[in-house]
Amino acid sequence: MSTVLATVAGMCVLGAAGLLPVLATVGLRWYSVPLAPLAGAVAAGLAATASLTFGGSLLDWFLGIAAVAAVAVFGLLIVRPDLGLRAGPATRSRVSVDRIVGVVGFLAVVVACAWSLRGLRTPTVGFDARSLWVMRPGWFLHSHSQLLIDMRTRNLVLTQSAYPPLLSASVAVAWKITGIHTARLGVTMVAMLDACALAAAALAVVQVGRTAAVRVTRSWLPLAGGVIVAVLLVVIAAGITEPFLTNGYADPLWSLAAVGAVAFGLQLRSDPSTRAAAVILVLVAGMTKNEGFVTAVALVVLVAARSIGWTGIRGARGRVVAPLVVAVCELAALAWWPVLMKAIHARGASSTFSTSQDLAHRTDAVVHGFSPYLHVLVLALPLAVVGGVVLRGVRRRVEVGNDVWAWLALGTGLVAVASALVTGSGAIGPWLLSTAHRITEYPALEGWWIVGVWVVVAVAGLAGQATPDGTDVVAHATPEGTMVHEGELVGVHA
Amino acid sequence: MARQAQSGGRPAASWLRADRDRLVASAPVTHVGSPAGTHRRRPVHTALVAVASALVAVVGLVALGGQALRGSRTVDVQLAHRTVHATSIDNAFYACIDTQAHSLVRPGQSVTFGLTNLADVVNMIMGFGSWVTVADPASSADIVLTLHDGTAAPGTCLGTTVVATSRGPGGRTIVRVGTGAQVPGQGPPPAPPL
Repeated sequence: MSTVLATVAGMCVLGAAGLLPVLATVGLRWYSVPLAPLAGAVAAGLAATASLTFGGSLLDWFLGIAAVAAVAVFGLLIVRPDLGLRAGPATRSRVSVDRIVGVVGFLAVVVACAWSLRGLRTPTVGFDARSLWVMRPGWFLHSHSQLLIDMRTRNLVLTQSAYPPLLSASVAVAWKITGIHTARLGVTMVAMLDACALAAAALAVVQVGRTAAVRVTRSWLPLAGGVIVAVLLVVIAAGITEPFLTNGYADPLWSLAAVGAVAFGLQLRSDPSTRAAAVILVLVAGMTKNEGFVTAVALVVLVAARSIGWTGIRGARGRVVAPLVVAVCELAALAWWPVLMKAIHARGASSTFSTSQDLAHRTDAVVHGFSPYLHVLVLALPLAVVGGVVLRGVRRRVEVGNDVWAWLALGTGLVAVASALVTGSGAIGPWLLSTAHRITEYPALEGWWIVGVWVVVAVAGLAGQATPDGTDVVAHATPEGTMVHEGELVGVHA
Repeated sequence: MARQAQSGGRPAASWLRADRDRLVASAPVTHVGSPAGTHRRRPVHTALVAVASALVAVVGLVALGGQALRGSRTVDVQLAHRTVHATSIDNAFYACIDTQAHSLVRPGQSVTFGLTNLADVVNMIMGFGSWVTVADPASSADIVLTLHDGTAAPGTCLGTTVVATSRGPGGRTIVRVGTGAQVPGQGPPPAPPL
């Protein structure tokens, strides 16, 4: 079997495992397509953790988790047939244009992602990929007792083996089902998962354009704007994450998944579908790498806070319980692996913090080390200020989340990574030299996504001014007071 | 409950589906709460929104386009001859020591890595760390694997060979050298990006 076929087989298996849970929670949306393999990767990560915790083979756990998820979905549909699969928002007007743009947007993003993976033609295997990410899958296919030895013994020197398992576990599933145990297959699997996370994050921007076209103006401009900006963001993201996008590193996956989680959980209109998409992407980010874990925890808190909102704080119990339950479940899933690493005394499970008095110097070094990779903030910040002051009304009508949420998400991720460097015990110079490019991927990408969303909002603002009849699209109030566009249902399953 | 009450006792979802295409509840309102279809526009504010929208859209699109071009060029570096050449040497080196390790370790044998040189341990992990059965404690290993870094010669991987040391009958030390693959030239392989 060739590597290409093996990669297709691996992605199909991951996609099959994640398909039903994604359809049940996210619904029949275009962004469900890339989310399905990512949900399967989450299942693989949980399977690796369960295998190390309780024994049993990785594949047995993977199939078991996938089966339980499928049974749970079917069971839910039998008990509550009224829930059904979430369909996309139905619109009475411009239905055909909106749907066509949905298809065009999806295809454009897929083509852009495929083109951005052309670096795979060179069969590079990165240093960290070969020493950890696509080496550790072999450990996950060992017996339980041998896996414990692999994780604990000091003779293996690599302390990074305690990093979260999602990526290596996904590769291990592909190795097992295809029988091909090569670093090259590991790299291609990682690249495909990267592409899925990238596509999901880009499709969120397409969705902003579609929502804008429905809510603010009857013009096609926001639709086209969303697609164009999404395609540009894909190409930009590939540039920021290369060569790691195609050489097996974990940094692009957690960074892109975190950006997608922000897009769905904090930027797009908050509804059950987008919140479910955010949950999947948060789990991918947090189960991929330590930096992703810290960022994911912050995102869980931010998404829950947005879902609860002022209404929840003021005492609406119904607005508090569900987001809190979801957040606690997410945190439990994220924390399982790091807690397990402590419990089994895995190599590298304990953090080392600097006791030196040189924090000022280290902070200065980190600021200077990060700066060359974060020039996007020089653009994003003034655009956000102008947009926040003048286009606030347009943004609210498009139902894109307040920009402060995205900036908080960017800031917490940046501060988390910077803090690890400042308080770490490694020599700061070489550490920055070898990692600054990779660990600034998330804030850099997030900065571009903030710019992209503002551009779509601005296009919607322009189109709104140019609407021939000079009126906004009419909205109506539901019994609960939710503003609903003609023919569209919001929060059917809320 | 509220939904059921308003739909005459039908389940909430069917109520919603039944009313999908017609409007319910209160009279139409616009986003500003003014009577339907009579959205009031303030000329100054409208002009300001138009100017700001144009500014943000143009500046943002130009920046996105410029950065996309830059990103595309970055990706193209992966296809450059130099990158391809370095990659082929890197892959050949690790495939070579992997093959040599396979020639030294039989299935079921436990191994440990000789800790004389940290870089060599890392290279061994990268080459064949995924499939060897590591012993714990190290003293219980059937075989101790090390890398011997020397000059370029036939039968070496860029001058490096995998060496296995084990105990034979009577406590005799047996040293074997890996076979089955070679990469001409002098190592180490080019450093990949970290």
